[in-house]
Amino acid sequence: MKFRSYLFSLLALVLALTLSLAIGSVFLSPLELWAALTGHGTQTSAAILWSIRLPRTALIALTGMALSGSGAAYQGLFRNPLADPFLIGVASGAGLGAVIAMSVKWPYTFWGLMAIPMSAFVAALLTVLIVYSLARVGKTVPTTNLILAGVAFSSFATSLTSFLMLRSTGEVRRALGWLLGGASQSGWTAILAIAPYLFIGLGILIFSGHAMNLLQFGDDQAQQLGLNVTRAKTILLIASSLATAAAVAFSGIIGFVGLIVPHIMRLWWGADYRRLIPLSIISGATALLISDIIARVVLAPQEIPVGIVTALAGAPFFLWVLRRAKNQGYW
Amino acid sequence: MLRKIFILTLFAALLVGCAPASISTPTTVPVSTVASTIEVPTVAPTPITLTDGLGRQVKLDAPAQRVVSLAPSNTEILFAIGAGGQVVGRDEFSDFPEQAKGLASVGGSMGQYSTESIVALKPDLVLAAEINTPELVKQLEDLGLKVYYLKNPKTIEEMYGNLEIVGQLTGHDVTDLVSSLKARVAAVDEKIATVTEKPAVFYEIDATDASKPYTYGPNTFGDLLITRAGGTNIGGSLKDPYPQISLEQIVTSNPSIIILGDSLYGATPDAVKARAGWASIEAVKNGNIFPFDDNLVSRPGPRLVDGLEQLAKLFHPELFK
Repeated sequence: MKFRSYLFSLLALVLALTLSLAIGSVFLSPLELWAALTGHGTQTSAAILWSIRLPRTALIALTGMALSGSGAAYQGLFRNPLADPFLIGVASGAGLGAVIAMSVKWPYTFWGLMAIPMSAFVAALLTVLIVYSLARVGKTVPTTNLILAGVAFSSFATSLTSFLMLRSTGEVRRALGWLLGGASQSGWTAILAIAPYLFIGLGILIFSGHAMNLLQFGDDQAQQLGLNVTRAKTILLIASSLATAAAVAFSGIIGFVGLIVPHIMRLWWGADYRRLIPLSIISGATALLISDIIARVVLAPQEIPVGIVTALAGAPFFLWVLRRAKNQGYW
Repeated sequence: MLRKIFILTLFAALLVGCAPASISTPTTVPVSTVASTIEVPTVAPTPITLTDGLGRQVKLDAPAQRVVSLAPSNTEILFAIGAGGQVVGRDEFSDFPEQAKGLASVGGSMGQYSTESIVALKPDLVLAAEINTPELVKQLEDLGLKVYYLKNPKTIEEMYGNLEIVGQLTGHDVTDLVSSLKARVAAVDEKIATVTEKPAVFYEIDATDASKPYTYGPNTFGDLLITRAGGTNIGGSLKDPYPQISLEQIVTSNPSIIILGDSLYGATPDAVKARAGWASIEAVKNGNIFPFDDNLVSRPGPRLVDGLEQLAKLFHPELFK
């Protein structure tokens, strides 16, 4: 069972990776693809494969990993099936940061182009920090306080974002594209920039499965079982927020993946967090890659923001899985 | 154990994934096939170096022969200066002139362009505009493409400058076109100079919410053309460039002319007359409600002059008999 779950998830990921390289708005036959991969293709097909599809595929896969991994962690941390990686403000903070940065005309330089993702990243982390300090009572951080503070602060940031977007009408299209999950930058720069945060964040989550299993008994029980609950919660929050903020900074806000992929994993393979986290990470990449393929081909050569596809295709799929689930009280 | 294997696989996969970062991708633009079939000029063409709207130096060895346009205004400029035959691709919204619709589209709705399709067209110049993001320019530049970012003009006169830039990039002389446009604008200016009464005009961009429709505010071509055509734009006194104006404000300003820039999206004079609260406006009482092609105002290309002429005719029909 254990082995089968990993095998199945990894096979699906490999399949999605292959499809993502093979399918795009420009048709490349398997022969041309092979030639381009081995360095014998035409200049055009080589440029499309190596400079467009490969970095995009990598960025999407990493984003999916971050969102779904931290989604699983948040659900465990808050013991709440509705938790997603954006619950305590990463998305609204990043959105606000991005829109503020968009209202300034940056010079056309490396750092000028990095202004939007950097501002989004910093604002996302600041939001989490503010929410965390607002929710703290003495030395403990009650879960309910975190969720309520997060929701309230998110609403505030979202309204501010909308207001700014209305004021600077020229940028609405750009901001909207970003908020619906459109990469603000592509190429290898983005991947190199977010990789360290993802490795640290997701690495911590992978090794926190045991702590999250304990947290499921409730804070008091977990404490009695030898877990430093407040410290565990803080570390998990930082790790998930770091990974999510980095991913969101370059890929925009992509909803739903972080909510449903962990649930599907839980329905299929059980609720043990030592397995649930890695499986969610692998399958998050798969799910987002498939959504991105759909986003590329459904109106080709037009593309639609991937955030629209994740919910449009993801919700029915999740409902189908939910209906078929034999294990009724799986949560 | 399995966990370790998984982590190792993850790291391995990512290392492999990152490897091509060090491989330098070809940055030379392939010499276009079109250029090579054209008769070889006796004198080698002089390179063209221009600074674009982002402050970038754009250097072409010869006039571009395969151009991809990323904005409707750019497409209109290219066709107007006689470079239509050199355009190989366009954005989703380029629908003028008619021939442009037959060109390959490279996307553009919600700001999403297909870089793959652009690369596959093998352009020797991508003509971007202010509706495109600097990030997109960077992306295309990194793919080894020549990109010129054409800034929006602020006045009709600056628009002539843009025609000259695109003429230089594509090897076309625009002197005749510019002087004929200048003559047409001068003719309008001359007639409007005699006008003493400038009617109040409400220009409607979108009235999905008829209690606060969108209109042109200051520093837009809508405002500029209305003023130059001898009207007074009631949105001109507002703050934002594309503000929502309250119906109360419209009623107070009492425009004698309403221009329906949203007629392309189904707004009609009859529908305006039927709107609650609009009946007291003078333009509604007199029936001075005119459907209008908003593209003549919103796209900063040579058709701005058409827009100017048509607005002047609507405002002062007695002068244009």
